[in-house]
Amino acid sequence: MDVLNVDYMLGLVPVLLTYLPLTLQLAGVGMVLALILACLFAVVRVLRIPVLNQLTIVFISFFRGTPLLVQLFLFYYGLPQLVSALTVIDGITATIMGLTMHFSAYMAESIRAAIVGVDRSQTEAALSIGMTNGQLMRRIVLPQATRVALPTLMNYFIDMIKATSLAFTLGVTELMGATQKEAAGSFLYFEAFIVAAIMYWIVVEMLSKLQHYLEIRLNKAYSR
Amino acid sequence: MKTLLINTLLTISLLASAPLLAQEGPLRVGMSGQYFPFTFVEQDELKGFDVDVMNAIGEEMGREIQYETANFSGLFGMLESGRIDTVANQITITEERQKAYIFSDPYVYDGAQVVTKKGNTEVESVEDLKGKTVAVNLGSNFEALLRELPYADQIDIKTYESNLERDTALGRVDAFVMDRVSASQIIKEKPLPLELAGPTFSQITNAYPFRDTEAGRALRDEVNQALATLRDNGTLASISEKWFGTDITQP
Repeated sequence: MDVLNVDYMLGLVPVLLTYLPLTLQLAGVGMVLALILACLFAVVRVLRIPVLNQLTIVFISFFRGTPLLVQLFLFYYGLPQLVSALTVIDGITATIMGLTMHFSAYMAESIRAAIVGVDRSQTEAALSIGMTNGQLMRRIVLPQATRVALPTLMNYFIDMIKATSLAFTLGVTELMGATQKEAAGSFLYFEAFIVAAIMYWIVVEMLSKLQHYLEIRLNKAYSR
Repeated sequence: MKTLLINTLLTISLLASAPLLAQEGPLRVGMSGQYFPFTFVEQDELKGFDVDVMNAIGEEMGREIQYETANFSGLFGMLESGRIDTVANQITITEERQKAYIFSDPYVYDGAQVVTKKGNTEVESVEDLKGKTVAVNLGSNFEALLRELPYADQIDIKTYESNLERDTALGRVDAFVMDRVSASQIIKEKPLPLELAGPTFSQITNAYPFRDTEAGRALRDEVNQALATLRDNGTLASISEKWFGTDITQP
């Protein structure tokens, strides 16, 4: 009892590893979709496109202003109550929907800030040599904004990976759900959860390395 | 990742046609997978008394059983929204639940039990819970049982999603309340310093809940029939003997 049961922990590693891909899939798909959505929102907000701008503001306000777990329950249990056909939304889909909308709301704001943060003189210079709006965005503003937004976007991705641990409440057995059930069978809570914690940690650490590499690449133009 | 995307798209396109899909698939059974020894996981294998009984029912009905595990607090939502057909997680029949669901015949008869950390002399019966902090599982019937006690307002009830045995052993709460059968089992088999405090204080009967719809009622009747057969031919008793060394399926 007082000593760590190392054999149990080692035995648990291959079992829990089989659930890691699902955790990464949930976060990976969620991140790609959230990025697309967030870019659209940010552009709508920066260009102040009428109607869409107001709708986006409400969307961001709601998904940033309510807990992710509440949103997951709304998608998974709430919607089928209104429209029974929506039962076809399975746990995995509902989790991805929740992660996408929740995190796109946060990410839209940091992308918008990055775009707005690009110095106005850059825009003026580009326009003065006859660039179109599209060229201005693609060649001048977005490359500079990407560099600014990257660290915060990476933060959200890391947060999203850990947020997938809520999915077991919707019946999706991902890394955390598998760990909870194993711990319930063995009552070796510390051993089970420390194995899971180390797995999350390693994944996030690898992402930090990736972020570091990307930052160096994006900073090339600025280093002397 | 690609399949997930396709899945998502398929799901959206299926929304319109969903009600047309056939009903007769496997029987979808929800459980927490976190309630030793009724439902738990060891080395990725779902096991327990409730798994064995459900498998026997499925065999009797000639239907495959598909287990869906989720946190306990999500199970009734899954039943309500039609994602599972019933819950096999020692669901106690209560008035409140009977308003929303219909129940099969009981398949477990048990009592509520106070459990404390080993050596706790302050709490030796349910009456001693006055002024104490007591843990129960979130959404379980034991919270309601505690609230029915005449001195309920003097008990600080803490609800847990899981791991309340551990918190009691750590001394974060004075006691927890659970059914006698699984409490005894936990004390016997798991390395936690816990002990039963006094006799049971309430009779409970556990059964399978179903949605109160035509399909739900038909399914309930089928399950009842299977349960009766399993009771008569001794299967229920032998599954109980295997897990508990005693027959908990009789009143």
